[in-house]
Amino acid sequence: MSTALIRNPLVLAFLSILVILAAGEIISPGFARGDQISKLLTVSAILGIVAAGQCLVVIGGREGIDLSVGVMISLGAVLAGNVMSGSNGAIAPAFLVAGGATFLIGIVNGLGVTFLRIPPLVMTLGMTGVVQGGLTVITRGIPSGNAAPALMSFVNEPLFLGLPGILFIWALIGVLMWFLLRRTDLGYAIYAMGSNERAATLVGVPVRFIRVLLYGLSGLFAGITGVLVIGYTGNSFVSVGDQYMLLSIIAVVIGGVSLNGGTGNYFGVMLGAIALTLLQSVLTTLQLESWGRQLTFGVVLVLLMLLYGRSKRQRV
Amino acid sequence: MAPLLDVAGVAKRFGAVTALSDGALRVGTGEIHALLGANGSGKSTLCKIIAGAVARDAGVLQLHGADAVLKHPRDAERLGVGLFYQELSLVPQLTVADNIFLGHERTAPLGFLSARRKRADVTALISRFAPVLGDGFSPDVPVARLAADQRQIVEILKVLSRKPKLIIFDEATAALDRRQVAIFFDVLRELRAEGVSSIFISHRMDEIFAVSDRITVMRNGVTVASFATADTDQDAVVHAMVGDAPLRERIEHPRPANAAPARITLTSGTSRRLHGVSLSVGAGEILGLGGLQGQGQSVLLQGLFGAAPFTNGTIAIDGKPVPVRSPAAAVRHGVAYVSGDRGRDAALQGRSIFENIANATLVREKRRVFWPRQLKPRFEEALKQLNTKYASLDAPIGSLSGGNQQKVFIARWLATGAKVLLLDDPAKGVDLGAKADFFSLARGLAAEGAGIVFYASDDAELLSVCDRILVFNSGRITAELTGSTLTSFHLTKAAYGEAA
Ligand SMILES: Nc1ncnc2c1ncn2[C@@H]1O[C@H](COP(=O)(O)OP(=O)(O)OP(=O)(O)O)[C@@H](O)[C@H]1O
Ligand SMILES: [Mg+2]
Repeated sequence: MSTALIRNPLVLAFLSILVILAAGEIISPGFARGDQISKLLTVSAILGIVAAGQCLVVIGGREGIDLSVGVMISLGAVLAGNVMSGSNGAIAPAFLVAGGATFLIGIVNGLGVTFLRIPPLVMTLGMTGVVQGGLTVITRGIPSGNAAPALMSFVNEPLFLGLPGILFIWALIGVLMWFLLRRTDLGYAIYAMGSNERAATLVGVPVRFIRVLLYGLSGLFAGITGVLVIGYTGNSFVSVGDQYMLLSIIAVVIGGVSLNGGTGNYFGVMLGAIALTLLQSVLTTLQLESWGRQLTFGVVLVLLMLLYGRSKRQRV
Repeated sequence: MAPLLDVAGVAKRFGAVTALSDGALRVGTGEIHALLGANGSGKSTLCKIIAGAVARDAGVLQLHGADAVLKHPRDAERLGVGLFYQELSLVPQLTVADNIFLGHERTAPLGFLSARRKRADVTALISRFAPVLGDGFSPDVPVARLAADQRQIVEILKVLSRKPKLIIFDEATAALDRRQVAIFFDVLRELRAEGVSSIFISHRMDEIFAVSDRITVMRNGVTVASFATADTDQDAVVHAMVGDAPLRERIEHPRPANAAPARITLTSGTSRRLHGVSLSVGAGEILGLGGLQGQGQSVLLQGLFGAAPFTNGTIAIDGKPVPVRSPAAAVRHGVAYVSGDRGRDAALQGRSIFENIANATLVREKRRVFWPRQLKPRFEEALKQLNTKYASLDAPIGSLSGGNQQKVFIARWLATGAKVLLLDDPAKGVDLGAKADFFSLARGLAAEGAGIVFYASDDAELLSVCDRILVFNSGRITAELTGSTLTSFHLTKAAYGEAA
């Protein structure tokens, strides 16, 4: 019973949040103060929203993974910054342009994976290179565009109950993801194809269509995240999104989504995003350099894979 | 002399489910010992305990007269026990040869892997089954590309290659046809002559009586009886299996009216392994597909379902030509496909029983959004019709016994209310009583207007339910059996290609 609880990813993620909070408070008193927590939740929300797309792709199976979310966030941020140029009236078009572009890139990923049968790792890594190149050409490496003031306050300033608007959007995404995965035919189909693609096909699930769609959605979520990132930082540069590639994957794994596909849910991923953001913040408080953080995240990922990854896989 | 294997009072619980409460089994040296029981009676659990794959909660387990400590399958292997896993233990991506020697590679001097020795050993192992392996079998193909019976033979060879003293075959014949079974039995008898013992699990009564020396029967996790095969008969064994619950008799049924409208019609269906096959199934009819394993029966069913579309030919459902290019299209037209190869074709491992049933219904009814409680009563009803043993719809599919899983995959289609049922060895692993229930259910569905196409690797099943049997050979229909020719004699003759 107790071991079952410990092995439950949700419980584990929740416990680690508490532990990291306590550790943070000890290392630097005030770490767990209300306004601090609201700040950390904002950062978690940004990570949590990319991770939503990552989570769908992973659950869908066939070694599903999207390594291009990082550059797609950068692209989204750069596009949004240029569309907005500081004007509140252009926020909606910014979401549209950024989300539209990354959705299409995601669709291309999906087509490559599904119809050309390119392994997702290779396809999305290749796409990362392509988008990165494109971005450098467009921006010539110079930071460009800036966020509309309304967007910045939506992301950073308290809106309701002392919490910024972005957190309500994140909560809404959480509910929608639950609804999608647990109450629609599409959600059931995603689990089915992640668990056993052939069996899913044989009950009439349009596996190929859905797989393409999943990569498209991952792109869309990355694009939206890009807009929020520029809302958070104020302006954008070519590599703003880079760190999210690894982080979104770790959040998904902490959340209990098996990289083999077919299991897990988004609530776990939300907790994972929070836990990871807290960890990142503690590491920053410890004045660990960026390489030290990367190293820590890598180690966390490997440890998690050891813990969950060895669950028995169904054989023929 | 102490028996080779002596198990007594073995108990095992999985959470709230008691799989075994008093398992016992005694197997002598050089004995073929049949183990029988309804689905979920605890056979596989007992075998996994003997093979060290599952840890027992209580009970004694002696091998060669000494208490055996089995913490891992390797421990049992060292003591000479080998297990043929009901759900198979093959790695799909690996080749036949690699699967057979997985975990105990053939080595040359200095510890290098020896490709030459491996090849020689594989060839020797395969040679026994060579005449009955069917198309596309070679030591170098990945197991994923093999048919169900071929994979089952690979699993058999994998166990044999380890040269155990006690071999447990958990439903090793479930997907094999009669020629394959015959060879398998010869192998068992040769092993017996060499002093090797086997435990043989099957739901086919004739096989049990053909090959076993002793029979042990389980019911609800308890070993209830043990007989010498020569001193008992089917009635006594069945009685021990089911207690006083009466088994349904062979289903007698009125011949469907000839004028019944056709549910599904295929005109000159052609694909790589099928040559111009035409057939028509009327409402109320159960059409059997006979012949040796792999003569195009499965290919035909998958073609009708859109899973392996025909390169040529037309399908009409209820008289209207419909392009069936994908299973989705077939499902929406009310067609169902039950595969006996559940691990590959049906099981959504890691998902609940509810989810394993729901997808087909969602596709069939184009439900975009639903609440589980809208569907649950219907699913429970479908499971009940098949007497499925399960704790709750939310339990994972993997917690069910093999036969009960198969019932879930049948229930999946019953819940859709399909009008055309394509059954591809559907009763694989389903016990006697449940099989009879399923066949009478199929009969009932036919009586309500369904058209059913039925393939079984077991001829007796075909003969007991079909109104008509088309016999296949090399992708062609070579004979049609109806009325007085619906006999085992005619079916066998036709299967081997002589004019019936
Ligand atoms: N891993 C598990 N978790 C939960 N319950 C289990 C598990 N394995 C088996 N059971 C339960 O234990 C009971 C006995 O299962 P077992 O597989 O031994 O039956 P069986 O006699 O082999 O049946 P079959 O003929 O269908 O293969 C069943 O009720 C099954 O649901
Ligand atoms: Mg079993």
